Formats: sequence, C-alpha cells, structure tokens
Amino acid sequence: MGHLSGERLYEIFARQKREDRLEHIGTVSAPNPELARVYAWKTYDEATWFEMVVAPRDAFRSVNRDEVPFTLHPAETA
Amino acid sequence: MSKTRTDGFKSADALPESAREALAASLLSLADNKRILGMRYGEWILGAPTLEAGIACSAMAQDEWGHARILYATLKDFEFEPNVLEHERPADEYLNSELLDEPVAEWPDLLALKLLEEERFHFEHGRGWAMRLGDTGAGRKALEAAFRKAVGPCLRWFGRPESEFGRQLVDAGVVSADADELRRRWRDRITPVFAEAGLEIPESGEADVVEWDDWDADRRRAAGGALDEVTLARIRGDKNRSMLMD
Repeated sequence: MGHLSGERLYEIFARQKREDRLEHIGTVSAPNPELARVYAWKTYDEATWFEMVVAPRDAFRSVNRDEVPFTLHPAETA
Repeated sequence: MSKTRTDGFKSADALPESAREALAASLLSLADNKRILGMRYGEWILGAPTLEAGIACSAMAQDEWGHARILYATLKDFEFEPNVLEHERPADEYLNSELLDEPVAEWPDLLALKLLEEERFHFEHGRGWAMRLGDTGAGRKALEAAFRKAVGPCLRWFGRPESEFGRQLVDAGVVSADADELRRRWRDRITPVFAEAGLEIPESGEADVVEWDDWDADRRRAAGGALDEVTLARIRGDKNRSMLMD
C-alpha cells in the first residue's frame, strides 16, 4: 500500500454486529487520524459495520515477539 | 421559524401547490449536483495523490450517484419523468452549481468541493486534507485560492435572504429553516475547519459578502453557464443509448 513520507500506517478493526468481537480487517496509510478514518470507512465498505476503529500501527506494543507488531503473514513475505 | 410538521405529509399530492413546486425544484437541484459531483470525483480516481485517496474518490462517486438516482426516482411523485430527467435534458436544464461546470483541475479544488458536502465522510475527507495541506505555505496558498473560489457559490445556493422559495417550504412545514438560517448553519460548520487549517477565507465571513448580481434563482446558480458537453454526454448515457437495439 502506498506509503508517502509524512504518512503513518493505521490498523483498522471492525465488527458487523454488536455481539461480534472486533476483528483486524486491514491497514491504510494516511497523513493524519482524520484521513485514516475516512480511508478506512471508504476502502472497507463491503459491509454495514456496527463499529469500526483505527489506531496507528506504532501505538501497538508487542507482547510476546521481538519483531514489530503486525508481522507479515508468511504468504506476504514470499 | 415555524416547526416542522411532525405528522408529515403522506404524499407529494398532499403538499400545498407552491410548496410542492419549491420542493421539487430543491430535489432536482440536489440530484443534479450529486450526479455531476460524482463525475468530478470519478475523474480523480487515478489522479489522486495517494492510492487511499483515489479509492475514497471512487467510493464517494458511487455514493453520489446512488443518492442522485434515488432523488430522480423520487421526482416521479412530482410528475416528472425520471427517465427524461436522467437521459434527455440539455445542459442548460441542469440545476448544477457553476463550480461543477468543468472538470476539477487541481486537487485542492476537489477538496474544496468535499468540504461543501453534507455527507459526513466526504466532509471529513476535505477536512483531513485541509489540515495536511495547511501544514505547508504552498499548500495553504493553494487551499485558500480553492476555497475562496468555492465559498461564494455555495453560500448563494441556499437562495436569497427571505426568498419566496425557502419560505414556502418553511411555511408548509417541510423544512425547519429558511435560506438565511441554512446559510448560517453551513457557515458555522465550515469556518472552524478553515481556522483549524490556518486558512484565511474572507468570503466565508458575513452574509453581505454574497454577490447576487448574476444569480439565476430558477437554476440556483450563476446565470449563463452550463455543464460541459463531454460530461453531459456521459451522465446522460448518450453512447450507451446508441448501442441499444430496437
């Protein structure tokens, strides 16, 4: 995904129903949280979400691994 | 200000004649602006500064087209033929703002259109970009130029102060606010964004900065101009129709 200078990656979490758990559904690159919200909502618009939240990737702290959080899926590193 | 009727109207026929006409004209103006705004967004899907911004433009174009289709269909209740509205009108019968007459040349101009939007995430997109571009001197200059151009036509769109048009809808209880009140609400919404991005937009200041000299009240826009012919052919679907078989 395009990552311009001055932009940060934001992780997107959402659930379709109140009783669902929040799930990580994707990532956007944005220059500020306001645009991150817009991009998240407009990019992942395949469902009618009950709730969607975004957080900058660098806000996450790894608990059990040394790598940065959101280590790539093996298929993405190939 | 009169209160909006809580019992509502069961159908367009139940409205007083003058209010029915005013409401139909408002709906058509909204529909035309949305139909064409969607085209202007769509023209930026590939040219947007980032992939995310391009995707957002594409999603927002679809939002606008969806709204427009519903509005055109609604006008059937007002004795319009939606098919004619959508596919058979010449450019000068469209009630679009002069801001939409030509494709949008620069990204800051597109952002200005977004801030003028009622839809929450479209507005937020304009706001987020205003904050980003407002960070640099050059960005701020470009944004100021774009907004100063766009604000006047938008303030005017609500109609003249105390215009018959707005009063008819207020008196009938269809809307809760007249042209001046709507203008004030819009200004209250937009000016904090200008302040937040460090922009000086004198045109957004007072009611008396609005120029009415070339105002065409029937089309709710500057008199004279119209949508460009290329866009007209595309929104009417002229080429699609030429491929239809009898």
